[in-house]
Amino acid sequence: MEFRSIEHVIEALSASRYIPSTEIATVVFLAAATQKPILVEGPAGVGKTELAKSISLYLDRPLIRMQCYEGLDESKALYEWEYAKQLLYTQMVKDKIHSVVDSADTLAEAVEKISEQEDAFFSERFLQARPLLKAIQSEKPVVLLIDEVDKSDPEFEAFLLELLSDFQVSIPEIGTIKAKSIPFVLLTSNNYRDMSDALKRRCIHLFIDYPEIETEKEIVRMKIPGIEEALLDKLVRTVANMRNLDLKKRPCISETLDWARSLMILQADTITPELLASTLNMLVKFKSDAELVKERLETVIA
Amino acid sequence: MLDMITKFSACCKAAGLKVSPLEVIDCMSQLRHIDATDEAAFRSLLMANFIKSRRDQPRFLEIYHLFFHELRTSFQDAVEESDDPETPKQKRVKEIIEKIREELGENMEGLENLLDYLGGDPEDFLNEVQEIHNMVEQRSMAIKVKSNMGQLSNRLSVMLKINQIRQKALQLAGDLDAEGDTFTRREIEAYFATMLDRSFDLLTRDKRPDNIALKEVSRTDPRFFDIGEKPFATLTPVEMERTKEITDRLVRKLKDMATRRYAARNKGVLDVRKTLRRAGRFQGVPLELHFRDKPLRKGKIVALCDVSGSVWSVARFMLAILYSLQECFNGIKSYAFVSDVADITPLFKDNPVNEAIEKVFSESGIDTRMLTDYGSSFVSFRERHMQELSTKTTLLIIGDARSNYQNPHQEILEEMRDRCRRVIWLNPEPMTTWSSGDSEMFTYKAHCHEIRPCRNLNQLVTFIEELVL
Repeated sequence: MEFRSIEHVIEALSASRYIPSTEIATVVFLAAATQKPILVEGPAGVGKTELAKSISLYLDRPLIRMQCYEGLDESKALYEWEYAKQLLYTQMVKDKIHSVVDSADTLAEAVEKISEQEDAFFSERFLQARPLLKAIQSEKPVVLLIDEVDKSDPEFEAFLLELLSDFQVSIPEIGTIKAKSIPFVLLTSNNYRDMSDALKRRCIHLFIDYPEIETEKEIVRMKIPGIEEALLDKLVRTVANMRNLDLKKRPCISETLDWARSLMILQADTITPELLASTLNMLVKFKSDAELVKERLETVIA
Repeated sequence: MLDMITKFSACCKAAGLKVSPLEVIDCMSQLRHIDATDEAAFRSLLMANFIKSRRDQPRFLEIYHLFFHELRTSFQDAVEESDDPETPKQKRVKEIIEKIREELGENMEGLENLLDYLGGDPEDFLNEVQEIHNMVEQRSMAIKVKSNMGQLSNRLSVMLKINQIRQKALQLAGDLDAEGDTFTRREIEAYFATMLDRSFDLLTRDKRPDNIALKEVSRTDPRFFDIGEKPFATLTPVEMERTKEITDRLVRKLKDMATRRYAARNKGVLDVRKTLRRAGRFQGVPLELHFRDKPLRKGKIVALCDVSGSVWSVARFMLAILYSLQECFNGIKSYAFVSDVADITPLFKDNPVNEAIEKVFSESGIDTRMLTDYGSSFVSFRERHMQELSTKTTLLIIGDARSNYQNPHQEILEEMRDRCRRVIWLNPEPMTTWSSGDSEMFTYKAHCHEIRPCRNLNQLVTFIEELVL
């Protein structure tokens, strides 16, 4: 079940509960057609991660998600040796070694015999795959989400380069492991720092902004069926107005949804300044932000 | 199509976007998958490949509009390639341009780029504009008075050329009217008028990239009530002493925390290879465990501190803060500037705090009586200290961004941003004055990751905590 055209992407993602703009659909379609990773930028809470989820849902591929953070290294992202097993193995080898060299007459022959044995110590048997390796070793193609890649260190970016351009990883003790299936890769970034040119070159770029009023309405309608149109309109416009204020953290889509849900529970049919003030905690997460909104209640409400 | 895409990519490059051949190849291979006459899809495709950061988006859209809409009559004309790619109107435009070339003959010097641009080939003109924008003033040793007239006079000469062509074109548009033309003379005139207006625009408007991810910190939680909200400039000596005590205590506390965090993190995972190698000594029993040492992630800070008269009262205080931060971070490099940059790291290393600050003003070689010039300070920083910036560096700029109407050279700040991890700007002025007078804060903020006013203790304390933790 791949994507056939841009319109098909819009249809397919909408069916998996994500409403994409034409631009998002175009980029997703192109990435699927050319097997290129997408670097998704945008403010927090506009649905970057959600996009990956709905792609995996529609394509019916498992989603492998890797959260990046400062200090992330290859042993956590790529692979690690299972040293407990390796230590056990040395004990086993020690016991078995006599039976192998028993028939040897000379030392040289014994060495020869040992070297004929399988070199199992550093083999895939003792390799513990972490998300990135799992993604390319999987028989079934997966969707790989490398979340908040801008939080990782520059060294980690270097690990990614080989994976993103050739879909392979190099493990010094074993060699190169090529992908069994090409994953659909999405990298997300909040622009905490700029990514290197090398990484950008391997990806196609997508910027997702806060949705247009109509799109956001559609999203709320889809997630909260049965919401009244007049309330919905007022609600979405009010959130949009709040995003224009100088807030520490602007309300994102999921906060719009939370607010809509709580208004439904309160059985509100319109938004009054008092109602907004009393439910403000759903939308803003800082005390100073709440104060700022309270100062401008009248202008915020659409 | 290939021809058009390469031409467009050349224009993007001329306008300062980074487009590599690989991106053009990608574009061509992706074009097979979409309907190129669908403009929304076509534009998304180009945008997804040609720009890789939101900040470049407005510049890209501008070039896109210029290339596919203004230079060609419509997007359809641009995409559909027929045997005769030119409409009668375009032919007439070409004729007029040829005529201008003929008439000017000898006096063509410097007009080529502009005429090419009018004829539908904007690359060289964009390049010329870009060069003028990025022009670095030549330092004259003989003349002590500084000016930023070089850039202005270059712009002016192009503006004059634009006007010269405007007159010629209008005159010729009337003269060349022919029987049976399906377009009106007005259309031709309008074409030239919009194109020349546009060139004017390109020349005079500074490019302001959109910086969506900028973190603007304007408000802080009140913490120290009595002196916390008082601007540094108005502190009495006694209050100054208290403020210093508070920051010293804070820096000490943060230093302890940072060390503890590193100590815990420093214990790496078991190094199997080494452990087994050592086990050989004890008959295969791994008695000695070896851990893989993890090198500390040493955050490096490069600080640029404005020490001119306009921030005089704050500068001393800021230098004191930089001095104490030096204890918190290992690789901190400090520079002071007014219109030239001086490395003051050694002064900080070898002297106690008060002496070090005195020496910054007396021994660093910075002439604090000069007019502040951020642009020329950036130029000298690029010449001499650019190698200090790496992907691990946080660049800290402390200053009011008042540059006395000199060329701000924001493209150097952009270059610096490309080289380092983060750019943080601390401004000792209140945010409301940032857009007034000779403040270039709005120019510079497009290239910063974070900007914040830093004029009292509360703001400073919040900042230092966020920086370290």
